[in-house]
Amino acid sequence: MTTTHEERPSVGADPLSLPPQPVPDAVTAPFWAALAEGRLAMCRCEHCGLWLQPPLERCRRCAGPTRFTDVAGTGAVYSFIVQHRATVPGYLDNLPYVVALVELDEQAGLRLPARIVGIDPAEVRCGLRVRAEFTELPGGDFTVAVFRPVDGP
Amino acid sequence: MSRSLGGAAVVGIGRSPFVRSSGRTTLSMAAQAAREALADCGLTAADVDGFTCYSTGDSAGPSQVAHAIGVDDLGWSLSVLGGGNIVTSTVAGAAAAVLTGQAEVVVVYRVLGSQTRYGRALERVEVDGEGQFAGPHGYLVPPQWFAMFCRRHQYEYGSTAADLGAIAVQERDHAVRNPHAVARSPITLDDYLNSRWISEPFRLFDCCYEIDGAVAIVVTSAERAADLPHRPVHLLGAADSNRFGGSVDQWDDLSCMYSRDTAPRLWSRTGLRPADIDVACMYDCFTFTVMATFEDFGFCAKGEVGDYFRAGRATYGGDVVVNPHGGLLSEGYIHGLNHHYEAVLQLRGDAGDRQVSGAETALVTSGAGPFGGALVYGTAAA
Ligand SMILES: [Zn+2]
Repeated sequence: MTTTHEERPSVGADPLSLPPQPVPDAVTAPFWAALAEGRLAMCRCEHCGLWLQPPLERCRRCAGPTRFTDVAGTGAVYSFIVQHRATVPGYLDNLPYVVALVELDEQAGLRLPARIVGIDPAEVRCGLRVRAEFTELPGGDFTVAVFRPVDGP
Repeated sequence: MSRSLGGAAVVGIGRSPFVRSSGRTTLSMAAQAAREALADCGLTAADVDGFTCYSTGDSAGPSQVAHAIGVDDLGWSLSVLGGGNIVTSTVAGAAAAVLTGQAEVVVVYRVLGSQTRYGRALERVEVDGEGQFAGPHGYLVPPQWFAMFCRRHQYEYGSTAADLGAIAVQERDHAVRNPHAVARSPITLDDYLNSRWISEPFRLFDCCYEIDGAVAIVVTSAERAADLPHRPVHLLGAADSNRFGGSVDQWDDLSCMYSRDTAPRLWSRTGLRPADIDVACMYDCFTFTVMATFEDFGFCAKGEVGDYFRAGRATYGGDVVVNPHGGLLSEGYIHGLNHHYEAVLQLRGDAGDRQVSGAETALVTSGAGPFGGALVYGTAAA
């Protein structure tokens, strides 16, 4: 499967041609700032080391301060869907596509939703090892991390 | 003060027609359902002093609906933000208001107009909150979330498309006998398997039927219920569970749902167990919601739901009749309050062609994923 959403639409294009754009807030902004620099960073407690997703200003376990910390970008597919129906803006053509919950290696249960690229949808399996790579989100304002099988399909 | 909900009862039920596209306002439909529910139990607007609804910000509010049906003043009014996950808390909250003397007669309603369609997201051009991590990847709506759950269950327990199909076929078979249902044509397993993919592993027939309509129920004290025309339907107990802030991505085990934690709480509070339940109105936004919660409530072991349904154990003459009205899958999606309507109808013995013979207890579940609840109704007070 080739990724199909990297091309930047022309100015004035149908708004439905763009995927939903993130609205960063005071807590999530560093996540997007890291991606813009080609890094995947997750929120982590500076006191106890707990990774927190979605991110929080203070740790939910010890109330310690948190900061975004780079992760290795590797993990495994915990579960996945193959989206066939045109449902979400920016994903109305070039169906189907695969979205997975990727469980990152840093902590059991620490998951990120992300598209899986570089593999036939029929070949994706729970447990598949994947690695993050970075691509511009159509619209041009954000970079997102998608995941590709580590050893190829 | 009593620690049980048993002193409260549902005495009246009402609803608007369920249709694909009504052209009506949420206020009009909710007012109709509320009026019908009051007429059903022989009460008038003058008797009502409490009103509550749950919504996702898409509904006329309790004070508006109360005003529209002629209630002059409400002593208790509560608008709850939430969906299927919050139905139990809303109904149990109305009962608690009655039991603590904050209100005497409470109308609970939910209404859905054509502007609400949770399966689509075409207007979602920006996403904040936790959705900002998923939305840019084209992952934003409930059928996708619960297909993700379903896939993990298939991986861990070997459940199959045919197992999901058995649930869809059974519920549709029940809807055939329900004139109020929107989808009444029988389907076969082949029809199910040939229905188009939505979010694989979900097909069209795994998804509920989103419609317009309203349901209202009237809650009052058991004492007052004794003077009203219908056999009262008592609340025997309720329980909820809310974990992971409601995050469908971070919830620890996608092969199960909130019911893993709600069920033991509910059985403990009521002293009941699955074998005591005659009617199970299982929240069925998707077939898999029934599968996961049915296992969690202890009707069968993990991975056995398909066999259970195929053996006829979830229908008339079996162990428990699951969604005799056809559920959200076939009667239509009124966000689970129609399950309460059906439970009351069954326990009154007024369900006509689809009456579950001798029904005395009904489990009503609500929600999916990391949060939700359930309650039990009975013909006898707890
Ligand atoms: Zn900490």
